[in-house]
This record gives sequence, structure tokens and C-alpha cells, in this order.
Amino acid sequence: MTEPFLSIRSIRKTYGQVTAVKNVTMDVAEGEFMTFLGPSGSGKSTTLYILAGFQDPTDGDILLKGQSLLSTPSHKRNIGMVFQRYTLFPHLSVGENVAFPLRIRRASQVEIAERVKKALKLVRLEGFEERKPALMSGGQQQRVALARALIYNPPVLLMDEPLSALDKKLREEIQFEIRRIHQETGVTILYVTHDQEEALRLSDRIAVFSEGEIDQIGTGQELYANPATHFVAGFIGDSNFINAEVLSNEGGQARLSLSGGTVIDGVPVHAGKSGGKSVLLLLRPERLSLSTRPLDSGLVVTINDITFLGNNIEVTTHTGNGESLSVRLPFGHEAISSISRGDKAWLSFEPKSTHAFA
Amino acid sequence: MLLDFERLAGLRPFLIGLTVVVCLFLILPIVFIAALSFGSSQWLIFPPPSWTFKWYQTLFSDSRWLYSALTSLKIAAIVTVLSIVLGFLAALGLNRGSFMGREALRALFLTPMILPVVVLAVALYALFLQLGLAGTTIAFIVAHLLIALPFSIISIGNALEGFDKSIEDAAILCGASPWEARLRVTVPAVSHGIFAAAIFSFLASWDEVVLAIFMASPTLQTLPVKIWATLRQDLTPVIAAASTILIAFTILLMVLAALFRKGRKV
Ligand SMILES: Nc1ncnc2c1ncn2[C@@H]1O[C@H](COP(=O)(O)OP(=O)(O)O)[C@@H](O)[C@H]1O
Ligand SMILES: [Mg+2]
Repeated sequence: MTEPFLSIRSIRKTYGQVTAVKNVTMDVAEGEFMTFLGPSGSGKSTTLYILAGFQDPTDGDILLKGQSLLSTPSHKRNIGMVFQRYTLFPHLSVGENVAFPLRIRRASQVEIAERVKKALKLVRLEGFEERKPALMSGGQQQRVALARALIYNPPVLLMDEPLSALDKKLREEIQFEIRRIHQETGVTILYVTHDQEEALRLSDRIAVFSEGEIDQIGTGQELYANPATHFVAGFIGDSNFINAEVLSNEGGQARLSLSGGTVIDGVPVHAGKSGGKSVLLLLRPERLSLSTRPLDSGLVVTINDITFLGNNIEVTTHTGNGESLSVRLPFGHEAISSISRGDKAWLSFEPKSTHAFA
Repeated sequence: MLLDFERLAGLRPFLIGLTVVVCLFLILPIVFIAALSFGSSQWLIFPPPSWTFKWYQTLFSDSRWLYSALTSLKIAAIVTVLSIVLGFLAALGLNRGSFMGREALRALFLTPMILPVVVLAVALYALFLQLGLAGTTIAFIVAHLLIALPFSIISIGNALEGFDKSIEDAAILCGASPWEARLRVTVPAVSHGIFAAAIFSFLASWDEVVLAIFMASPTLQTLPVKIWATLRQDLTPVIAAASTILIAFTILLMVLAALFRKGRKV
């Protein structure tokens, strides 16, 4: 078996009574863009800080190319990092900020000048050498920070919510830049965010964090199509959950009874903490189909509201026992013209493409 | 705000008057001393009958005055350097550390500011006598360092408070060892606090007289001690001249500090 490039093994970190990271294990391939996605407080930053060497794990190990990193102090790890907050050195110009790692490494004057120029070109800030950080926008400052972190060719680049302080439009612009830079340099990136859209846009793979543990690691498509837990299903993409009863279960394929007596067959069930008969069924709003005519296997609902959202239409509904369900229909869907508030309608879906969580 | 100046319209004349009186009370003695130092009367008559530079001539021709001024400068300079170095280290520890008794330690460092100076002076004198250091420059410096340090800890501590430690962390990941990062990044970033600490530390030593009297010896006298000692022998306008120089130097430093602060803002 080939050695994984970066291997995080059973990392645990406690602060007194608080467990920040319970058990994090993952392998990252060279050149991969791996994102830690999860709500605030789920242990993403702590994991990153352990990689950077600012925190020591209570348990576990980190291997880079087979060598444990833990005994190496931060400043000798040669790892690059862009922080959530702006961390340019306030007294130095942009050029000197980017040159800093090379000055520390005692590179020659000529080499420094050449590489600073190249690094600023990479982040599209040529000619900003003399500018003081305080006179630059947040987006520009983070790009300078990126240039400073990449100038010494680190094997791994860590990014801890670097765009969270920027507005949406700028954020998207820099996401695009980060993607381009990842492709151009081929650097391995570990990226932290709580924004699923950002994670989906940037990453090769996403590790979904929840309460100090990784619920699932996979590509965005895998997480969307085959979520392993209720939490992942709710975090990636839009989702509805309705209660259902397991009638029978053969090898993870279940027969379920829904509200109003509808029975569906062949739904993948994911075992959870409670092994009972009641499960939550995931229904993606965009994978539901709506009909005004009765359907045998359909779920009966009442229309609450119809909202036009541009390229699609959101219909909010509720089931017989009051569970709300939203449905996303493409613009021009035939049912739209014939439904209005308070009407009855029938929802249908492909049982195999849904998931039930115990 | 309750105490908004605009809202206190009725009280305004009174407040302005009060401010003027307080300012006069602070400034007049200085003006008075300076005027007397240029007055021709040996008996410090005010207003002076005529003007002269002769007291300054006497002052500058007496090497003992010059020597005490140099002693003052030397001690203040050494105290300043030690105060900002130790102040930076102490502020860093108090700011970043998470050890037991941190707040108690902070309070302890600041006690020289509230302790009656005379009490401190007597205690230090007794201690230095025991150690055989009474009357030495070292004792003098330690005594003044004790009262200068709180100023450094407060002003550098405030500057560190406003400095994001992530910036230092970034320098460390860039390859700088923790102390290299502090020297090359943190120190320049809190330089305004260090500058303020330097000015206050220098002044704390430069015009200090109570501790100085206890720490002085016949051969080790700072300018304030020399003024005080001369004053006890006879009241001559040379003292006014020496005081004026002392004050002028102090004002010069304050102006420098103010200019520096203003320069930073633009
Ligand atoms: N230095 C610390 N001391 C105590 N608790 C901490 C410390 N750092 C983080 N934590 C706790 O650990 C948990 C995970 O934090 P963090 O890794 O910052 O989460 P995230 O980056 O996913 O938002 C949180 O509950 C946080 O309160
Ligand atoms: Mg975080």
C-alpha cells in the first residue's frame, strides 16, 4: 500500500472538561483540496491548529509523508497558513510581508525580489509591493496573506475561514482565485469553512464535522447523493425530513410507511444511535415531483404557499399530520398553473434515491 | 450622554471659568520660576526689577551642576531601557499567560504607583543598606526602575491588548522562531506603546526627588537632589535657572510624545 501524503490519525483534543475534537481521522492525497465543513464549534479550527502546531493533541498523531509532525515546532513545519483574521504585519509593506518568510530563511536579495514578484503575480497583485497593509481592502489583504503563505512552497496550505469577513460577491471572486491558484500550484490545501456553498465550489473532497467528529468524508456529489448521517443530509443541500415507520428491513433496504398510510419500498436505511422502528426520511425539495391528480404511491399534502424564485418555483406544503415539506419545481412546471393555496396535491419521488436515518 | 458639554449650557460659563483657574494654578508656578530665573534680583523679587542671564552663567560655570544633570540623564536613560525591556516581558506574560494568580501579580507590579513614595524610599534604603548597596548607582537605578515599571507595563500592556496574536502566529508559521517573531513583528507593531513607556519611564526617573534623596550620596546626585540640597543652604536664583532647565527638558519630551502620537494618526 502506498503511503498517504498527509495522515491525521485519531486526533483528540480536550481543554479541561471541554472536548474540542473527539476523534478525527483522515488521509489527504498530495495536491488534494480538502475542506473541513461544519457548524461553529465543531472542532475544525482546533484540528487545523493542531496541524499548524499551535496546539498539541491530547491523543493521536499526524504524519506528513510518513513522518510524525508532532515533535516539530510550528516554525520548522514549513506549513503555510491563511488565517480567519487579517494577519499582515502592519509595519511592513506588502512586498516586505511577502518577502518575510524568505528573509527568515536568509535567501539572497536577488532571489527574494524575483520570488516576491512571482508570488504577487500569482495572486494578481503585481505592483502593490510598496503599499502598506492598512491601505488595502480585506480581500486584497487575504490575497497578500496567501502570497506570503505560498512563497516558501509549503507542502500543505491551511486556510481557516479566510473569506468569512468578506461580503458575498467578493467572497465568490476570491473563491474563484483560490481555485485557480490551487490548480496552478498543485499545493495540498486543507480549508475550513462553515459555508456549504463555498465547500462545494472549492473542494475535491469535504469532511463534514459535527461535535468534534467527522460524520462523513467524500466529494460534494457523494455527500449530497449518499449522506451517511442525518446531520450530513441536513447540512449539504436543501432538505426535508419527515417521520416514517420501518415495516421491514432487508440488508439496509427498508419498506416504510409514511403519514397518510403511503407505503414505499427499497429505501436505504442508515443505522443511527437509536435502533427503533421510527426513522426520518430525507426528501430533497428538487427531487420531489408534484401532481394535482391522485397518485397511488404519492404523499398527500396541502399547499401553503407558492413562491417564484427566478429559475425555479418553491412550493411549501404540509402533510396530513402537520409536517412541512418544501418542493422545488422548475419554471414552467405543468402543475403550477393549476394549484393555489389550500389545494390538495400529491408528491412523488424515487424511493431508491432517498435515505432514511434511524 | 449625561455629561454632554452641549447639554450643560447653563453651567458652561462656570465650567470654563473653573478650567481656566485649574490651568492657571498648574501653569503659573512654572511661569513664575522661569521668570525669576531671568530676573536680576538675588532675593527672587517678583516682578523682577530687570532681566539677566547671569544665573545661567553661574549655573553652567559650576561643574557640579553639570555633573548632576549628567547623572540624572544617565540614570534616567538606563532606567528607561530596563523599564521597556522588563515592561514588555511582564506585559507579554500578563497578557498571554493563563497561570494562577495572574491578576494578583498584575496588581503587585502596579503597587509602586499607589504606595507612598516615602514609604518605598525608606524600605529600599534599609534594604540597600543591608546589601551594602546604599549610595551606589545600581541602587539608584533599581529604585527608579521600580516606579517606572508600572508605566511601561500599563502602556505596553494596552498596546498588546490591541494586537492580534494571530499576526505573531502567522510570523511563526512563516518560519520565525517564537522570539524572532516577537522581535521582528510584535515589537514593531506595539512600538507606539513602547514609545509612550519610554517617555513616561524617563520622566518618572528624571524629575523624581523623594527616592533620589534617599539613594543619593555626596558623589551621586541627580539634578532634583542637587536643587533640593542647594535650596537647603541658600535661596539663590541659580536654583530657579536649574529648575527651568529641568522643566524645559520635561516639556520638550512631552511635546515630542504628542507630535509622535499625532504623526501616527495621519
Ligand atoms: N483554547 C480553548 N479553550 C477552551 N475551549 C476551547 C479552546 N479552543 C476551542 N475550544 C472549544 O472547542 C470547541 C471547538 O472549537 P473550534 O475548533 O474553534 O471550532 P470551529 O472552528 O469548528 O468553530 C468549541 O466548543 C470551543 O469552545
Ligand atoms: Mg473556527
